[in-house]
Amino acid sequence: MAYEFTKEDLKQIEEIKSRYPAVMPATLPVLWVAQNRFGHVNPDVQKLVAETLGLPQAHVHGVAEFYTQYYKEEKGKHVLDVCTCLSCQLCGGYDILHYLEEKLGIKKGETTQDGMFTLNEVECLGACGYAPMLQVTNDQYVNHLTKEKVDKLVDSLKNGEKPQYEKIGMPQHENI
Amino acid sequence: MPEVIIDGKSYTYEGQYKLLQFIQDLGKEVPFFCYHPSMSIPANCRQCMVKVGQYIIDRESGEHQLDEKGERVIRWFPKLQTACNIDVADGMVVHTQETDELVRRAQKDNLELILINHPLDCPICDQAGECPLQIQTYKYGPEGSRFEVKKVHKPKRIQLGPRVVLDAERCINCTRCTRFTEEISKTHQLTITRRGDKNYPTTAPGLEFDDPYSLNTVDICPVGALTSADFRFKARVWEMNQTPGIDITNGKGCNIDLWTRDNLVLRITPRFNKDVNGHWMPDKGREAYRLFNENRISRPLQILDSEQILSSWNNAIATFNEQVEEANKKEILVIGSAHASVEENYSLARFSNLLGLNQPVFVPHIIEGTGDGFLITDDQAPNTNGCRLLGFTELDQKSIKKAVKKASLVILLSDHLLDRGVLSPGDLDGKFLITFATNHSDTTKRADLVIPITTAAEHAASYVNVDGRIQRTIRAKETKYTNRRLDLEMSEGRLDRYGTNFDNWVTEENKIDCVPVWSFISQAAGAQDLDLVLNEGREIMDEIASVLEPFEGVSYHLMDEQSGIRLHLDTKEKTKT
Repeated sequence: MAYEFTKEDLKQIEEIKSRYPAVMPATLPVLWVAQNRFGHVNPDVQKLVAETLGLPQAHVHGVAEFYTQYYKEEKGKHVLDVCTCLSCQLCGGYDILHYLEEKLGIKKGETTQDGMFTLNEVECLGACGYAPMLQVTNDQYVNHLTKEKVDKLVDSLKNGEKPQYEKIGMPQHENI
Repeated sequence: MPEVIIDGKSYTYEGQYKLLQFIQDLGKEVPFFCYHPSMSIPANCRQCMVKVGQYIIDRESGEHQLDEKGERVIRWFPKLQTACNIDVADGMVVHTQETDELVRRAQKDNLELILINHPLDCPICDQAGECPLQIQTYKYGPEGSRFEVKKVHKPKRIQLGPRVVLDAERCINCTRCTRFTEEISKTHQLTITRRGDKNYPTTAPGLEFDDPYSLNTVDICPVGALTSADFRFKARVWEMNQTPGIDITNGKGCNIDLWTRDNLVLRITPRFNKDVNGHWMPDKGREAYRLFNENRISRPLQILDSEQILSSWNNAIATFNEQVEEANKKEILVIGSAHASVEENYSLARFSNLLGLNQPVFVPHIIEGTGDGFLITDDQAPNTNGCRLLGFTELDQKSIKKAVKKASLVILLSDHLLDRGVLSPGDLDGKFLITFATNHSDTTKRADLVIPITTAAEHAASYVNVDGRIQRTIRAKETKYTNRRLDLEMSEGRLDRYGTNFDNWVTEENKIDCVPVWSFISQAAGAQDLDLVLNEGREIMDEIASVLEPFEGVSYHLMDEQSGIRLHLDTKEKTKT
């Protein structure tokens, strides 16, 4: 499959390029433009980005490979990153992960057949206070997970509804 | 003059220096991996840690602040600094690992960290013996490792390109190779992929590392992560014998080292010369080791009953003289060669001069558009300017064809004119062709008499590069008639010194039955009762220097001392690089 930027993308890329004195720093935001367009930045997309920016392919490849937020292969429509680092693990992170595995019928790191969900086990996302938690496609955090909350999340994602940003207060302010 | 105190000793300096380079220039040592003098400084290996401080000077009085013991108080940097990227400053106080326990400890711990995921397969690693990581671990490293769990596994034996193989597990991510492709060869072919303990250098997916300078990354790799596909597993470093030489595959004359074992050249690496090639050389020049080993002409060849057969040296000399005597002097064409050294060309010119023949001509071997303005030149021969300075007439294809047509005897020095397409076999019909040559080719196949001569690896002779710099080679490899133990200029490796003919790693086979051009010519002249004795390159160069004006003052001694001498070329004649 040949990847191509649309006219709007190219316009946006020009705008991004104008923000920096050199082309190289535009690599990161342009990779985002590409990922938003194609859902991933696989080697072909990396090549497209390199050619669009006139940068060496190796450079774009190195940048894309460095950041886990760029998907180097096709993923499901929704990527669920379940944290199993220390705090989440103690609060039942693995229970949530295994529940999701069972519910979606896939193992961690895999994508469902319908291309809807990809399930990942990740390290700390910096939300230990709201453990266990997961992140949806590099975006919203879903906190204080329970099996019911997971069910609701999966259903709403299937219906095309994205989870809302959740405001959680600090315990010492008693505003949780 | 500003001064800096390193390990309690004071040194004055002028100009700007990085501390690590300054310490190295003093002949002292601080261990490092990622620093390279001709590339940018990322300071990412963290190995060159030193303790750096400054004497405290009282602002009002301008005097050094003293402690109770009357010693000057030093304000140290709060943490150890990497010596590679810190500028030397006036009044700087430096403690290296030689005097400071903290620095020793830091370097040791850093090495322990680097070695965590390093496979320690030195016994099967090509780099062993010339590996900075191995050497520095031996000198500064910890005795063991506290790391007891499984090492991270990464890809091994990846063919990055046609000439370079990657073993990612050995990589310590110093980024020397990626910086080389970014800053020196400018092909931007390598990058570091992934991160943390899983990172390693690689090309973009689907692309090959086919940089014409790719093998330089193998040289600068401080571990065995990048190895040469060709040289892999051929020899251990300590078995070989390293002799300085000159690259003869193009006009730049890169300074090289020839690595020999049992009289075979096994690899060629660049040798630093700031005026010619810096630290680098093109990959093509490294392939030249085959020229020295393979397809060599050993013993003279002669056509007898339309068949080329091996002949003897006595026969060759007799035939040579017979032909020269019989032919009409005006019908003898002597062709010199830009592929041969100054001394070889001069010997031929002396000989034809004595016989009253015409001054030799030569055909430059220049292919326009093959050069890149760096170390690869349009000129395919190492000594085009040498021939010019000797006063040889430069002929193009048309005029050489005409000259050959008029001749009945053609004496050709080490230039494969048929293979190059300068002459066609038809041009030589009915002519007697004598050629001096090192390797078999279509040209030597056609020749009526082939005289095997020494290569740049077997004689000491000089070459003038495209910029007019004259540089010389040293004998690296024995012929049937030279002996490493008698020839004081030849270096001896361990096997050369201690090996005997009864060991299975020393053979006579790799010694070629060939002689330098000048000794053949001396013998031929001797048989003709001519007064011409040319003993060796050094003496011939002295003679050239005293006779020919462009070479005035040139001697082997001076060339060795200054690593080459820049000669004055007529600017009009200067070749394009």
